[in-house]
Amino acid sequence: MITLIVVAVVAVLLVLAAISLYNGLVRKRGAVDNAWAQVDVQLKRRHDLIPNLVETVKGYASHERQALEAVVAARSQAVGAQTPREQAAAENALSGALKSLFALAEAYPDLKASRNFSELQEELSDTENRIAYSRQYYNDAVLTYNNAIQTVPANIVAGMTGFAAREYFQAPGDERGSVQVRF
Amino acid sequence: MLPWLAAAAAVALWLLLLAALAVATRNPDVVPVPPTAELAAHSPAVVDLITGDWRLCDEATSATLLDLAARGAVRIEEIGPELSLVRLRRDPGDLRPYEKLVYDHVRSLAVDGVVATGALAEGSRNLGRWRKSFRKKVIAEARAEGLSRSRWSRAQAVLLTAAAAVPAVAIAVAVTVSDKEHDGGLGAGILAFGALVALMGRLNGERGTRRGAEAAGQWLGVREHLAGTGRFSEQPAASVTIWGRHLAYAAALGLAPRAVTSLPVSVPADDRRAWSDYGGMWHVVDVRYPRRLLWAREPLPMLFYALVAGFFAGFWTWIVLLVLSALDLWPDALVQPGFLAVGAVVAGVPLVYAIMDLTGKAEIQGQIVRLRRFQAGTKGNNDPKYAYWCAIDDGRAREVKAYGISAAMWHPLSEGEKVRARVGRKLGWIDAIEVVERSRLHGTARYDDTGEHRIDAPENLGEVRIFDTGQE
Repeated sequence: MITLIVVAVVAVLLVLAAISLYNGLVRKRGAVDNAWAQVDVQLKRRHDLIPNLVETVKGYASHERQALEAVVAARSQAVGAQTPREQAAAENALSGALKSLFALAEAYPDLKASRNFSELQEELSDTENRIAYSRQYYNDAVLTYNNAIQTVPANIVAGMTGFAAREYFQAPGDERGSVQVRF
Repeated sequence: MLPWLAAAAAVALWLLLLAALAVATRNPDVVPVPPTAELAAHSPAVVDLITGDWRLCDEATSATLLDLAARGAVRIEEIGPELSLVRLRRDPGDLRPYEKLVYDHVRSLAVDGVVATGALAEGSRNLGRWRKSFRKKVIAEARAEGLSRSRWSRAQAVLLTAAAAVPAVAIAVAVTVSDKEHDGGLGAGILAFGALVALMGRLNGERGTRRGAEAAGQWLGVREHLAGTGRFSEQPAASVTIWGRHLAYAAALGLAPRAVTSLPVSVPADDRRAWSDYGGMWHVVDVRYPRRLLWAREPLPMLFYALVAGFFAGFWTWIVLLVLSALDLWPDALVQPGFLAVGAVVAGVPLVYAIMDLTGKAEIQGQIVRLRRFQAGTKGNNDPKYAYWCAIDDGRAREVKAYGISAAMWHPLSEGEKVRARVGRKLGWIDAIEVVERSRLHGTARYDDTGEHRIDAPENLGEVRIFDTGQE
């Protein structure tokens, strides 16, 4: 009888510990999802600004077709990306296309002087900065979550209940460290 | 006896005069108007002052920052549940002196024009001086608007000071008469005069004018309205984009605690939760100060402590084992090996740690996020002994353990400095530290945080009675 009670108590304690670990993992996974949603908000904001930018540039430099098409194509790629890795690669390409576009704008004084253009430029610059902070926030959440599902004993619960490691939203090489986004 | 009675009577009369003047100069009654949405032209900081018994609360600084955001001088953006940013705009426009103080504090912390809201408590300013400066600037505006004034008028102050001379002289005479050597009277008189004048000064402060009481009543009506219509208590600071200046006034009126606590403009930085901009982006770093048993210890003295600890542990184990063996609870043959083993383990661990740290040091490079000293006993005669700590964010983890450091090395350092340090990884002791780059926040604040202070305005001890009109 005593053995049975001991076994039952141990079993109950194990189940409670497993529930506690499971709930902790769910909270951490929720934090990752939430952080990704924040990244998504900022990326969407950036994507939404680009059509206006393209239209503004068209008004002053319509014959810079190649650069404009490159931006539009890069935006489409970025909008269609699914995973953080794809998204990071597409956003990197979009940043490159935007930099080229802003470099071209240097040759058009009327465009540079346009208030609409300068406001869009500032807005995009702010958005880049927000993306950088969202990315840091997301990567911190992923680090916490990935550490949790890989350390003993939570890894046992994670393995049994299907918690998989999440991908980091990697920064392009030249954006690591100080964030100084200047188009 | 008679001189002492006369002195007591003089003091009592002076106290009576003080009490009469205190009653005469009490704050006017504030009668709240019925709930109203009409916002007057006063700033949130002034509103905080006049609706808070003419005493300024810490909420006033957060409310001022929210007001700056509502007016477009800065922007507050939410990145995640625990991360919001304050972004400076290019032209803040004309700011009031205390608004400029808050704006300049944000600007001094900003990296590329951005500072995390949690990082607003960071910086190298003297917080006490900063608060005092803010308060005096707000009071200056309230006085200029006719909402507040000093409790004692010049005439009242002169009257009380002059009258204080009477009991002081009476006390001096009483002491002189009762003292056999007839000295000490002058000193007692001066002391008594000083004490009475200090008491008078203590009771001084801001008090509301009739106009101020009317304005406070109006704002209490706004408070009722905001409390009834908006769910401000749960609004984050970033919701100022939606609510505009209403959120700033709600914060000043004590209705937006969440927004206020997320903007720690005038609270001391947390010892255990630091904000670091190492690497160019603000991020939070949790700082741990482990127990000093085997951490934050200098390796060389640790060798000695280890041997002493091992000796005593072995000695007491030997005594215990002798008793146990006498009671046939421990085999005689294992007494010697037992106490030797305990002594060896107790001495061995710190010895190995100390030797490892003495023979191989690690080099870390990063930014100092916390410099703290905590009392760790006394040296005798109430002379406190401190343990000095230095936490360095090397960019690798979001949690760091603070290292122990000598007082001589600790004192010249500042938070925010980028350093290269040689540390013992096992005992957590900084052996050498070199500043690679001075903190951008080093020394005094990079802005004028004092300005002109011609107002003497200590805490007001007066009371404001609020009458409930019963109108909803």
